[in-house]
Amino acid sequence: MAFEFDEEQEMFKESVREFAERKIVPLGLTMEETKEIPQEIKKGMAELGLLACTASPEYGGSGLNAVSAGVIAEELGRADPTGSIPVFYLVQAAWGFLLNKYGTEEAKKEIFPKVVSGDWFLGIATTEADAGSDVVGSSMTIKKVSDGFVVNGEKMYISGVREAATGGGGHVTIAHQTPERGSRGMTVFYFPLTAEGVTPTYISDLGREGISCGGFTADNVKIPSHYIIGEENRGFNIIHEGYEFARALIAVICASSGLKSLENGMNYIKERKTFGIAIGKYEEINFRLAEHYTRLCALRDLGYKALWLIDREQEGKAGRFEVSKGVAMAKMFASDWACDAINDVMQWQGAFGYSRECADQAAWRAVRSFALAEGSREIMKMIVARELLGKDFIAYK
Amino acid sequence: MIIVRFIVCVKQVPDTTEVKVDPKTNTLIREGVPCILNPFDQFALEEAVRLKKEGDEIIVISMGPPQAKKELMKCLALGADEAILLSDRVLAGADTWATSYTLAQAIRKIGDFDIIFCGYQAIDGDTAQVGPELAAQLGIPQITYIESVDELSSRKLTAKSQTDDGYKIVEVRLPVLLTGITPSGFIPRSPPLPNIIKAKQKSFTTWTADDLGGEKDMYGLAGSLTQVIRVYAPPVREKGVMITDEPIIAVEKLMEILIKDKVI
Repeated sequence: MAFEFDEEQEMFKESVREFAERKIVPLGLTMEETKEIPQEIKKGMAELGLLACTASPEYGGSGLNAVSAGVIAEELGRADPTGSIPVFYLVQAAWGFLLNKYGTEEAKKEIFPKVVSGDWFLGIATTEADAGSDVVGSSMTIKKVSDGFVVNGEKMYISGVREAATGGGGHVTIAHQTPERGSRGMTVFYFPLTAEGVTPTYISDLGREGISCGGFTADNVKIPSHYIIGEENRGFNIIHEGYEFARALIAVICASSGLKSLENGMNYIKERKTFGIAIGKYEEINFRLAEHYTRLCALRDLGYKALWLIDREQEGKAGRFEVSKGVAMAKMFASDWACDAINDVMQWQGAFGYSRECADQAAWRAVRSFALAEGSREIMKMIVARELLGKDFIAYK
Repeated sequence: MIIVRFIVCVKQVPDTTEVKVDPKTNTLIREGVPCILNPFDQFALEEAVRLKKEGDEIIVISMGPPQAKKELMKCLALGADEAILLSDRVLAGADTWATSYTLAQAIRKIGDFDIIFCGYQAIDGDTAQVGPELAAQLGIPQITYIESVDELSSRKLTAKSQTDDGYKIVEVRLPVLLTGITPSGFIPRSPPLPNIIKAKQKSFTTWTADDLGGEKDMYGLAGSLTQVIRVYAPPVREKGVMITDEPIIAVEKLMEILIKDKVI
């Protein structure tokens, strides 16, 4: 057993950290005002090979495995307190992984070069107003026609709508192709947000302001057959691989964002004095620090274990549900533990911690989203319990 | 066939922005300090990569411990074609003269070359001696404080070299040794991930003192003409005295202090 990255991953880490410290850290909280990731950052990420980094080199990607993708996520998570760039990165890495694995050659040759170069955005859109983690409960439909497919319906709470609708690109989506067959009649496909019949809508989120959030309606939107990902009517079986990739990255991002906040907190409590004593000497504070640090390191380990399991699955050395359980364990408390830590760092900093100038409050709002995004904490518990007790103990069956 | 062969000399150094001096022992606190590619050497390498044309070759060499492989791999990811690490206990403790002798031996072993490119100095030692000494060891011309190479052919180059009061344009026949002065606007590149992956497929070799040949007592501590006796931080200055009165009174007070301390 070796708790270490290989030489190549160490180099990825160093290269991304250099870039992040030079370009991302100086942005501070400006994206909260500008509501977008600067073009220069997207271009820099593209030049480094970070966008859709899981795509194979023949499509212009870096061909990274899950653990290596996690190394990058960790660095971006610590560099951007607003959480915008980590989200921009993680959805493209995770859903790029799915498209790379199950997409058609024609789609991959068309989509990846534009995503990898930063011209297009590749997102995920499965949530609807009345259906989130319950994917089968969604109402979007896809129908086969003579020269392709027609999509109808609505998606909501989707990251990167503006990026794809205005800059180009689209989202990996799932819809009912054979509704009467439930989960066995759903199809996954790439849905371009620039297609005729698509109307984007926008929502103001609590955090992660640098990347847009919104939804879209699809009114008889025509897509070509080569946009279908995997087999028709068998999308439910593969969509979870994309979710799980994203969930494992989220665990690592929550850990690194929380650990970065603890660093901020440590710098503060060593200097700040009350009654002539550095507040870091009070056990009320330093015991909390020790607890948070331990929990976040455990979270980081769980996250990397989950990513490692995903890589093992690709090598045929781990089972589907073994991966699901490992990933769910990693994501279950990712947001809660990171939020708890950051919340205490805000408390240590007194009134400043509650001001808009404090980076930690932005980090708190960003990581709070991950108790919901890409599968809620409750769903994570359901998955772990299912794997421990068996499918007979699933409440909804 | 190689048209122009560049040899770039690089060094792994502690990140001096992280290094502190222990005020009690006067030694560098290296614990937990990350090592980096000497930034001046990265400029030299990037300038070589910029100049490289099809058929040219860039070899990077470094003398250091086995851990210095990390920085050489970064050089390969930044565009070098081949990396050679000179690593042996015999080489340890070398001053600038012994270092330049070691590098010269390695370059003789490589064989033909056209341009040797060094950073202006390493950020840990700040001597700026290894480049010029290496040119002396090899008996080739050198141009120091190079800001840019403006023209390059297989036989000669023209470079812009900084001076105290401006710059000079120097034309020289190859082979030549250049030391680069990093321009203020230089932003070091971070190697792209696909290049890091490709770096593994490039040639990386380690040479020991036996591989280099030469005279053993010219290497490492034994071959060093200088020795570092002590490294220490300047003593911490005591807090100064502030005189904030009106000028006439302030001058009187200042005079009193200077007379009392027998300065005047």
